[in-house]
Amino acid sequence: MLVLGIETSCDETAVGVVEDRLTLRSNVIASQTELHAPFGGVVPEVAARAHLDQLLPTIDTALVQAGVHLSDIDAIAVTSGPGLVGALLVGVAGAKGLALAHDVPLLGVNHLRAHVEVAQLEVGELEPPLVALVVSGGHTSIVVMDEDGSFRQLGSTIDDAAGEAFDKIARFIGLPFPGGPEIDKLARDGDPKAFAFPRAMLHDGTYDLSMSGLKTAVIRDLRRMEAAGEEPDLADVAASFQEAIVDVQVVKTLRAAADEGLDQVVLAGGVAANSRLRSRFAAECESNGQRLIVPSIPLCTDNGAMVAASGANLLAAGFTATDDLDVDPNMALAG
Amino acid sequence: MLILGLETSTARTSVALVEQDHVLASASLSKPRMHGRYLLPAIRFCLDQAGVDVDRIHGVAVGLGPGLFTGLRVGIATAQTFAAARQLPTVGLCGLDVLAFQVRYSRRPICATIDARRGELFWAFYRSSPGGVQRETDLTVGRADELAAEIDAQGEEVLVVGDGVLAYHEQLDVPRAELAGPDVAWPDAADLAELALPRFVREETVRPEQLLPIYLRQADVLIGWEQRGRLRGGVPQAPTA
Ligand SMILES: [Zn+2]
Repeated sequence: MLVLGIETSCDETAVGVVEDRLTLRSNVIASQTELHAPFGGVVPEVAARAHLDQLLPTIDTALVQAGVHLSDIDAIAVTSGPGLVGALLVGVAGAKGLALAHDVPLLGVNHLRAHVEVAQLEVGELEPPLVALVVSGGHTSIVVMDEDGSFRQLGSTIDDAAGEAFDKIARFIGLPFPGGPEIDKLARDGDPKAFAFPRAMLHDGTYDLSMSGLKTAVIRDLRRMEAAGEEPDLADVAASFQEAIVDVQVVKTLRAAADEGLDQVVLAGGVAANSRLRSRFAAECESNGQRLIVPSIPLCTDNGAMVAASGANLLAAGFTATDDLDVDPNMALAG
Repeated sequence: MLILGLETSTARTSVALVEQDHVLASASLSKPRMHGRYLLPAIRFCLDQAGVDVDRIHGVAVGLGPGLFTGLRVGIATAQTFAAARQLPTVGLCGLDVLAFQVRYSRRPICATIDARRGELFWAFYRSSPGGVQRETDLTVGRADELAAEIDAQGEEVLVVGDGVLAYHEQLDVPRAELAGPDVAWPDAADLAELALPRFVREETVRPEQLLPIYLRQADVLIGWEQRGRLRGGVPQAPTA
């Protein structure tokens, strides 16, 4: 059973092919990072235009790499939310054309679920219950996958996603977009304790997160130093800022795991590529005796294989989409 | 020869199956922002009611705009993947050409318009020619008063069609303009497919990946940029592409 997955919710045009739910056949990503870099963030109309340019070539490459023809595909999965509406529409419209052409089922995939479920391509069948942190430029959510495979959202960012906060601070200190990898690199030479940046909402009893206070604090400190004629050590700034973000995410996720009595943790999404986030989670989970599952980086960032994997799960459970499948830019993580 | 026509570049979503010189089936919905939801059910309706299987379709014709970006990409993405999957030839047509084609029996010059939002419209001028219309000007984007001045400069009465007429009726109601009503306000997939059919016959077709939207306007990257540019790192330039 072959499922082709299409992902166009943000700034990656991505297509993957998955066989029998658990086997990765191909995973092709056409990144738009260079198009958005001059603007320091993803520009929705630029993203939608690029998705249409890249859609067919990316589908073609994914089929070639999987060694299959379109007529071999048993179902078409596509991200229908959450994400940028104009970007999502390109993928969904493209998926519908494919489903019509070969009269195969259409599967509408929730992007956040897919970030978690993609782990099944590397570690095999997931054995919920588990807790997951889905963290990227577009989202920061703490979710639980219950024993029956359904998802519950425990908390999410109330302002910026973690990746957005990385981008904004990177831009402020003159680093290119996307900021996450740049801050990560710069922070390796810095002292994470050099600045005492705030850890917002750390002890408020919720699983929600906030990045805007931290961002403001970093900018305020840099401006104050500039006004005082001091030259800040940017590596120290990057390390301290990154440590504050990592702290909040590790603490809140692992508290959720403890409260829910769960001993498996999935770390997913583009920001899961951050080396400090990975190493802190690894250390904490080990000392707690928890199993940590982190997909490899090509499966952490937005990709088509995750959509195919999640779609294959939907197909197996009998949840196919109707012809009028719509996009939902604010899709919640229900069911 | 059976052609599937898709037109989603205006507020309307329109689908037609056209065979030789007659419309076998058509379906339209004039409700804004419904392209993504309605297009596939509309195609399926036309196929089912006409009793036609997808393997009988010979080619796909699609509207390339100009128009509303989000809507027109829905039609083009569906046309591209469907045609690529079935290995069909495709023809992309300008929506203004289709609008003018819809009033091809007029003896007067024709001005086709499409509401471009934000105080502007897209337009082009045409004359009827044997079997259709001939475009006489470039595709233009501009304000209604600029178009009104161009109409006045024509020296004879002009038939103005398209949803630009509905959006800017007052500004376009100049002495030399005869303003058409809602019956020719939107490019229709049946007319689009009919206009495209001779090109399929003559094999003047393109591959699906060559179907490119006619945007006429750059991506609006500067919206919200002033706020974002407050931070250091400099205000970036708009891309040239
Ligand atoms: Zn994502």
